[in-house]
Amino acid sequence: MIAHVAEAGEGRGRVVLHLTSGPPNRLALLAAIKVAQAFQSEIESLFVEDAKLFDIAGFPFAREISLSGRRSKALTLADVERQMRSRAAALADELGALARGSEVPMHMTIVRDEPVNALASACDRHGPWNVVALAEPVTASSDPLLDRIFTAVPGTTGLVVVGPKVRRCDGRIVAFVEDIADFDAVLRTARRLHALSPDARLTLLLAADTDREAAIMDDQARLAIGADDTLEIVRARVERHAPAVAAEIIRRLGAGFVVGRFGGLVVPSDGCLRRLASVLDCPLFLMR
Amino acid sequence: MFFKRNQRDTGKATAGAGAESPVAAKGTDAARPVPLPVSELRRTVEPSSLGFASTAELEPISGLIGQERALKAIEFGAGMRNRDFNIFVLGPPASGKSTAVRQFLARKAAEAKPLGDWVYVNNFEDGNHPLAIRLPNGRGKPLAAAMIAAIDEMRSTLPAAFESEDYQARRRAIEEEFRSGQDEAFEALNRKAQDQNIAIVRTPTGFVMAPTHEGKIVKPEVFNTLPEAMRKEVESRIEALQKELEHILERVPKSDKVRRQRTSELNTETATVVVREALDDVAAAYAGEPSVIAFLEAAGKDLVRNFGLFLAQSGEEGEAVKPPTDPARDPRFRRYQVNVMVGNENGDATGAPIHEELNPTYGNLIGRVEHIAHMGALVTDFLLIKPGALHHANGGYLLVDARKLLLSPFAWEALKRTLKAGEIRIEHPSEMAGVISTQSLDPEPIPLDVKVVLFGGRDIYYLLVQHDPDFAGLFKVQADFDDSIERSSDNNLAYARLIASIVREHKLLPANAAAVARLIEEGARLADDREKLSIEIGRLADIVREADYWARQAGKSEIDREAVMRAIDEHVQRSDRMRDKSQEVITRAIVLVDVDGAKVGQINGLSVLQLGSFAFGRPTRITARVRMGPGRVVDIEREVNLGGPLHSKGVMILWGYLAGLYAQDVPLALSASLVFEQSYGGVDGDSASSAELYALLSALSELPIAQSFAVTGSVNQWGEVQAIGGVNEKIEGFFDLCVWRGLTGKQGVLVPAANVQHLMLREDVVEAVRAGKFAIHAVSSIDQGIEILTGIKAGVRGADGSFPEGTVNRLVEDKLRAFAERARAFGGRGAAAGDGGGGAGDRMS
Repeated sequence: MIAHVAEAGEGRGRVVLHLTSGPPNRLALLAAIKVAQAFQSEIESLFVEDAKLFDIAGFPFAREISLSGRRSKALTLADVERQMRSRAAALADELGALARGSEVPMHMTIVRDEPVNALASACDRHGPWNVVALAEPVTASSDPLLDRIFTAVPGTTGLVVVGPKVRRCDGRIVAFVEDIADFDAVLRTARRLHALSPDARLTLLLAADTDREAAIMDDQARLAIGADDTLEIVRARVERHAPAVAAEIIRRLGAGFVVGRFGGLVVPSDGCLRRLASVLDCPLFLMR
Repeated sequence: MFFKRNQRDTGKATAGAGAESPVAAKGTDAARPVPLPVSELRRTVEPSSLGFASTAELEPISGLIGQERALKAIEFGAGMRNRDFNIFVLGPPASGKSTAVRQFLARKAAEAKPLGDWVYVNNFEDGNHPLAIRLPNGRGKPLAAAMIAAIDEMRSTLPAAFESEDYQARRRAIEEEFRSGQDEAFEALNRKAQDQNIAIVRTPTGFVMAPTHEGKIVKPEVFNTLPEAMRKEVESRIEALQKELEHILERVPKSDKVRRQRTSELNTETATVVVREALDDVAAAYAGEPSVIAFLEAAGKDLVRNFGLFLAQSGEEGEAVKPPTDPARDPRFRRYQVNVMVGNENGDATGAPIHEELNPTYGNLIGRVEHIAHMGALVTDFLLIKPGALHHANGGYLLVDARKLLLSPFAWEALKRTLKAGEIRIEHPSEMAGVISTQSLDPEPIPLDVKVVLFGGRDIYYLLVQHDPDFAGLFKVQADFDDSIERSSDNNLAYARLIASIVREHKLLPANAAAVARLIEEGARLADDREKLSIEIGRLADIVREADYWARQAGKSEIDREAVMRAIDEHVQRSDRMRDKSQEVITRAIVLVDVDGAKVGQINGLSVLQLGSFAFGRPTRITARVRMGPGRVVDIEREVNLGGPLHSKGVMILWGYLAGLYAQDVPLALSASLVFEQSYGGVDGDSASSAELYALLSALSELPIAQSFAVTGSVNQWGEVQAIGGVNEKIEGFFDLCVWRGLTGKQGVLVPAANVQHLMLREDVVEAVRAGKFAIHAVSSIDQGIEILTGIKAGVRGADGSFPEGTVNRLVEDKLRAFAERARAFGGRGAAAGDGGGGAGDRMS
């Protein structure tokens, strides 16, 4: 896992960029590249041709309704294949340019499978240390994927997502810590990202559901960190399962990237990741 | 007896001035000529008569002396505010007219107020036509600074406003409102589809629906095994859902449009508050200036429209480039800046501007639109409009050298056009000439109220008057500066004060009275007239400054007479290489000029060579040969195209004199030739015509002319000797030669009596005359001159109509009659048919 690699000071791991037939978000792509830069890893672009579409094309009544809703036409297998090819080619061009500009090694794989299966296979194929980055902003249709990604893809050690409100991926790096036990790992990852833009501010956001607990975390963190002018520590009281509150605090900090841990107050392992991601205006990096 | 004729042969030198002439024995010797007294040769100034010991005691003079007429003209021209009463100041160079005019105008301008400040601002409706705004004095630069400050403020406040909680909340509310509407509709449809076991799946270019079973897409081959009725029902459900989806998707653009409109309204509202706040202070400061208020309103609207300029970072996308710290340098904000064309420093500024343009090119005069290279193309905007001299002088006076103006392409025509139109319109010269027509800036013209003062020589003035029909209409005031002033005790004192001014201006040693006296004498010399004083201040100042140098070299505490003389001598020495060369070829007998003895038909003429500021006289041998002939005087100079028209005229006049005096009743059967010996350059002027006539009379009378004399003066048909120019240099030229050959006491120069008033000879010449070693003779007639030159009486026609025996005139007349007789003896062959009054090359009777 890349986060673990970071702890160990190793320069290994991989970012698996999950691409589908939907339009990618440029900031999501840049976020994936940033993570790859931070951990000196490569990017594997995994373009998944959703097998469902090929099945649907087999129905005689299958019709494709255009995005504008003004046009519909019969959907054939040939149509789907052509669309997939052209989409994959366009994505390869766009990603290639971005990767070259950022000097990040990248290669692209095209698979025809169910999306989660495809991710699991890709992560398994190259070892355990994979950060999955989703190229599309999370929406309601992302829920099945998000719900399963940490459970059905064991090779996933981190997940980078953006919501529909994403506006930037530059600026303050916020290490969002809900459990003091996670503080070191989260902060270490945040520092790796911060190293890419040292002029930006680095903030440790300590969130707890009570003020007292937040204060205890603050004391512990300060004790562990010692004197560090580069780091700002902010504590906040966040109700459990209240991602909007956390998102607002993060937004007010002007965050350009948020690093957090999956399975905490805001993103409980049994909760809906989309709720937080959809209100943030910057990428979210969740560590397993 | 001064000269004696000892032989009648021509062409041979006689024994000299001391030889006895047979004619002289008959009592025809001329009376001994009386040379001019020393007092007539140089008008000196007695230092004690000046009434001061040193210029330190004198009040420096401000302005000019003796230029009342010119100054009156300038006063008139400066007072007339009509735009066609511009002034042309004409006069000699270095006469101080420019300084004097500037001083005079400064006094006049001090009474007026500056016209105000002028600025150019962007025209937000038509960027190609920047707007000109006139402001009260001292308000232009503050406006420019205030706009930059406002922009600087908005660079902080606009992003802050759009980052503010208030804005973000409202923006999110709008987005949420629309997004949630779409999402809800889409999710509702999704749920509805799921309830009906239908999945909505995204394709690269749209959406597609398919039946599901337990959340998974049913395979087509499985679906095909279903009963037809069921399949039909699924298809109809899908069809209905597709319609609903189409409806939802179709609403998205309309919804987006409304969202964008609402967002835009929010943006406008947010930006307006900030922009208004930033510009309110400027507007308050310029509340009384409607043009500024209009500009601020237009700028405010544009700022609100383009608030994004303040939010966007310059540079490549994703590259964190910090904006320039100086908003004036940020290209995004140029359009809101103010270009100050004319900006007075403060509102209390007094005095109309007086601007002197030393390099009156088109652009420097009218102003120009500059361009900068950007990405391989030349671009410009209103901030690159540069003012010209007319902008700086607007409301006051513009001083320009006419010659430079005329030599500068397009400048003269542009100035005239501007003066006629009464407005400064900045155009590219090529557009003015209609050569090219590219889209560029066309700034709003600025009204012009200026008095143009041109400085130039008389030649330029009269050239313009004659050849430019617009000139007289635009420059109605002629301020004509004199070259010299009358020499009087008052003007001597004024001259001394002028010298005191030079001393003070250049921080020189004071000049004592003797030095001033010597400078006044030099002033008369520079004027070529002992009754005048040159007001060529430039030359006078040069002498005083050089005298200061020599005085300091000598360790003196004041400029004295010796220092002045040293300055004059050194100046001459630095300039007289050509004079030395000219003298050398004569002293080495390369150029033949005699200064003693006597010769028939040969005389020393005098010419002046002007080399830059230095002039010197040079003796030249003139010879005449005569014989019986068809009546023709050959001017050899003219024959070989070396003689100018004035010289030819002089020669023709000789013919009139000869014919009128000697050939009343006989034809002039004369053939004569006249030449400037060893003259290899052009000859012009008629100052040698008397010398030529003397040579001709000598040749005809066969009386030798004393070579110890040199002659200058023109002559008319009545034999009157007339004034010429450069008399001092001519005398000194011959004197220098005589000094080199050895002064004999018999040498001298014949000058026209009318030129005596111009004599300001060098002191060494005066001293030689005082010692009896040299003489200056003033002559008013040819008879008077020929007597001095030959020592024989000219002779006056008696009651019998004939000249007395032995006189010059008698000898000449006899020779001419003899020629006529011989011509008749030849049967009229060769004799002309009458007196045609011809000159050089013409046949004569």
